[in-house]
Amino acid sequence: MGASLPPKEANLFKLIVKSYETKQYKKGLKAADAILKKFPDHGETLSMKGLTLNCMDRKVEAYELVRCGLKNDLKSHVCWHVYGLLYRSDREYGEAIKCYRNALKIEQNNIEILRDLSLLQAQMRDLDGFVETRRKLLTLKPTVRINWIGFAVAQHLNSNGSNAIEILEAFERTLEDDYPPENERFEHGEMLLYKISLLEECGFLERAIEELYRKESKIVDKLGYREQQVSLLIKLGRVEEAEKIYRDLLSMIPDNYRYYEGLQKCLGLYSENGKYKSEEVDQLDALYQSLSKQYNWSSAAKRIPLDFLQGERFREAADIYIRPLLTKGVPSLFSDLSPLYDLPGKADILEKLFLELENSIKITGGFPGSALKEPPSTLMWTLNLLAQHYDRRVQHEFALAKINEAIEHTPTVIDLYSVKGRILKHAGDLVAAAALADEARSMDLADRFINSECVKRMLQADQVGLAEKTAVLFTKDGDQHNNLHDMQCMWYELASGESYFRQGDLGRALKKFLAVEKHYADMNEDQLDFHSYCLRKMTLRAYVEMLKFQDQLHSHAYFHKAAAGAVRCYIKLYDSPPKSKTEDDDEMSRLLPSQKKKLRQKQRKAEARAKKEAEEKNEETSTAGVSKTGKRQHTKPVDLDPHGEKLLQVEDLLAEGTKYLKLLQRNSSKSLETHLLSFEINMRKQKILLAFQAVKQLLKLDADNPDSHRCLIRFFHRVSSFSAPANDSEKLVWSVIEVERPSLSQLHEKSLIEMNRSFLEKHTDSLMHRAAAAEMMYVLEPEKKLEAIKLIEESINHTISINGALGPVKQWKLKDCIAVHKLLVTVLVDPDAASRWRARCAEYFPFSTYFGGLRSSAISRSACQEILNAPENGGVNSQESKSGDAHSLNGNIEAFKALAI
Amino acid sequence: MGAGREFVISLDGVRDKNVMQLKKLNTALFPVRYNEKYYADALSSGEFTKLAYYSDICVGSIACRLEKKEGGSVRVYIMTLGVLAPYRGLGIGTKLLNHVLDLCSKQNIPEIYLHVQTNNEDAIAFYKKFGFEITDTIQNYYTNITPPDCYVLTKFIAQAHPKK
Repeated sequence: MGASLPPKEANLFKLIVKSYETKQYKKGLKAADAILKKFPDHGETLSMKGLTLNCMDRKVEAYELVRCGLKNDLKSHVCWHVYGLLYRSDREYGEAIKCYRNALKIEQNNIEILRDLSLLQAQMRDLDGFVETRRKLLTLKPTVRINWIGFAVAQHLNSNGSNAIEILEAFERTLEDDYPPENERFEHGEMLLYKISLLEECGFLERAIEELYRKESKIVDKLGYREQQVSLLIKLGRVEEAEKIYRDLLSMIPDNYRYYEGLQKCLGLYSENGKYKSEEVDQLDALYQSLSKQYNWSSAAKRIPLDFLQGERFREAADIYIRPLLTKGVPSLFSDLSPLYDLPGKADILEKLFLELENSIKITGGFPGSALKEPPSTLMWTLNLLAQHYDRRVQHEFALAKINEAIEHTPTVIDLYSVKGRILKHAGDLVAAAALADEARSMDLADRFINSECVKRMLQADQVGLAEKTAVLFTKDGDQHNNLHDMQCMWYELASGESYFRQGDLGRALKKFLAVEKHYADMNEDQLDFHSYCLRKMTLRAYVEMLKFQDQLHSHAYFHKAAAGAVRCYIKLYDSPPKSKTEDDDEMSRLLPSQKKKLRQKQRKAEARAKKEAEEKNEETSTAGVSKTGKRQHTKPVDLDPHGEKLLQVEDLLAEGTKYLKLLQRNSSKSLETHLLSFEINMRKQKILLAFQAVKQLLKLDADNPDSHRCLIRFFHRVSSFSAPANDSEKLVWSVIEVERPSLSQLHEKSLIEMNRSFLEKHTDSLMHRAAAAEMMYVLEPEKKLEAIKLIEESINHTISINGALGPVKQWKLKDCIAVHKLLVTVLVDPDAASRWRARCAEYFPFSTYFGGLRSSAISRSACQEILNAPENGGVNSQESKSGDAHSLNGNIEAFKALAI
Repeated sequence: MGAGREFVISLDGVRDKNVMQLKKLNTALFPVRYNEKYYADALSSGEFTKLAYYSDICVGSIACRLEKKEGGSVRVYIMTLGVLAPYRGLGIGTKLLNHVLDLCSKQNIPEIYLHVQTNNEDAIAFYKKFGFEITDTIQNYYTNITPPDCYVLTKFIAQAHPKK
């Protein structure tokens, strides 16, 4: 490096490099300028100066200098390397890899460049290249541990586990007998466990367990050792030994559900679907009886039997399980029990049990059959449990009655208000739900959870402004709600995006959805540092697991929601482009030419001013960031498009939507929504075969789904409307569809009308299927509109028979009824039918604000009367007291009547 | 209370962050809606205003106002003292009142007083147990309840370190 320079300058050059490494950028810059004074064209110096400036947030100059340096010295590996580093810092890994490769053409054995290259290859999952680079590094420097490990990991990632094992074993042969030294025992142990997990993965189970036993003394992570051991023993069918290990593990961590599951497997008492024969249940019962005695503190040992016990024994076990938790006051008790509601018959038993407990406490003050008096709070917790029970069973009126009783009993318990808010949300009164959540929030202003819950409820009720103000209470001072973005607060962004979408503010909605998408890109980015860190620290099992997780990253539910939301925005935009532009034009046309000119000038000026201000602000923050801490900081540029208006001005909306659709198809192919969106986009893009593919996927996933049915009919209806194919490619498309058509069983020899009819006959009892059939009837035969509406209106809301002690439950879901109402309004366009439907649903859902139910906050104040009547809600006490001295009622009548001590 | 399940009663101060708990209690306990001054006095009285927790549930409170008398001495006025109905009889009221009485004697506050409706015999008996005496009767003190009269109950506290 710096070879072409005289000694004095060569030393200066070394200083630049050193300054860069130690982040003393100003010093480096000075040295660079000193060289450039004498040798203004020296390529490597120019490059290094550029790299240094890059770290001082002077990107434009940096690129200029680095490119200029390279131009002056194309044969320098330093210049290429620097160019690569520059690209890397801007996350352009593909370009960076190209630069590294050019550098290596000149200096093929440069360790540093090879190492940098290997990191990016791992990041980009260029696994063949990664293996090659790591092989080269090992050949060049076989004395370095990390090179052996790196090569092995590369082979493993490239699906060559047995090679990886060989490499690790070869590495072990290079070690002395007394290896490892005391300070490297953990690293070595991790390497051994990694190797054993590789043996397991490759199916060499015997070898794996032998190796494990042989190296026991060298493995530091004892828990990891045990878990690896038991996994191998199970696979080897050595269940008796495995059982012993599981019992050992349980004595260490008696609340780990996986250990219980493993123990059951060892005893031949495990079934995937949770169904057991009665003698198995007996054995399990006995097992857990003894386990819960042995691990007295374990709640898992007490809770698990509720899953497999049935009937009377379930009732007894549940009774024993619940009582102490009600006495103690465990607010999460219901969430603990709620999975049981999916198991047949258990909800009925629980309801009876809860009611018995409530009744007994009210009459005797204690639980049934117990002489002990319960503390006063037990009744309140029991009522709370019952309220959540009825909520879960969609009996909102009972649920509200119970929760109101609980609040009356002890009005200071915050959880009760949260529960009440949740009930109201489920019942369809989002405004009242938000008000309740806000009341809960006001009772403990230091609790972030209830604050967040309140924000979410507000967003669900489309109170975005209020929600933002509330959310900001818990972000860092002065950072406003941008801080939520920096903290990757995705639930907030998603809920806010959905709310904007409902309100038709597509720009802001898109902004939020794309923000979430960006978080996932950042998370993918975040792995970069670990490629070198994990190899160095030898946390190889965790590293490989992290890489696998990263490969699955975009299949996470939040990403799905965000991407689907973005696609919906683009579709909606495409269908109804924003009118603002044409309206502006209208306004413009009414003006005189001179006025127009003025207006345009004014607009242009305002735009320029805004841009300048934003840039200035940007500059300020960046300089402040650097000077304050001295080291490089990620300064965030000022958002030039806070309302997402620019996002709306995309040229090709469907192409933009397709970008996110592709991510969904790649990562959430099992979701109906993915293919529904694909259908919608491709129909609009006239991509017939892609739309057909979506239809086929939908039918494969769920042929009976009303939306699948809709897409199928709409597709063939559309195809039948096409004129004969004009060119070759169209002919090809037609022939594909002709060939495929008979393979769809639904279509077999039937007309679309017949098919729609048979779909209806098959699902005649289901509201949503009837609605789909009605909609398609209207699509196929528009003259049958009245018949279609009749089809919907004649649907019957059946009663689900449950054995509960209180009233029946109707079958229809609120969300479905709303969808049907929207169908009547927007597709079938029959206002009379829609208002009949509305009136009918208002009876089914008395709390629904959408249908204007009588007990919803939209109609009466009854649902949230308590809130409205309590002026202290929200912390403002507006009501003045009646008498001159408000404190005069001390020693109140009621408060002391029972104060007998 | 059943044997072996003793529940802890603890006291906690009132702050901006939890003042809503006191408001909730007052709404449940008293027919009067207290104004901002009440809460400002309570907050500024510091240790003299307390919430009582029964195994982490807020169930009672005592709220006082510190009053300066002519000549600079301080006396304590108990604005409210109350416990939610289901939690009475557990010694919570006693604990709250004792806390304030202890504080008075520690800080050499010689006088503590309150108002009570003349027919509220339980309350009068309760306070008498702690050494309060009826020192005055105010006619037509209350506007909306009968009887409208109240007693002033006062306790004079012996000084821990009498002034010389």
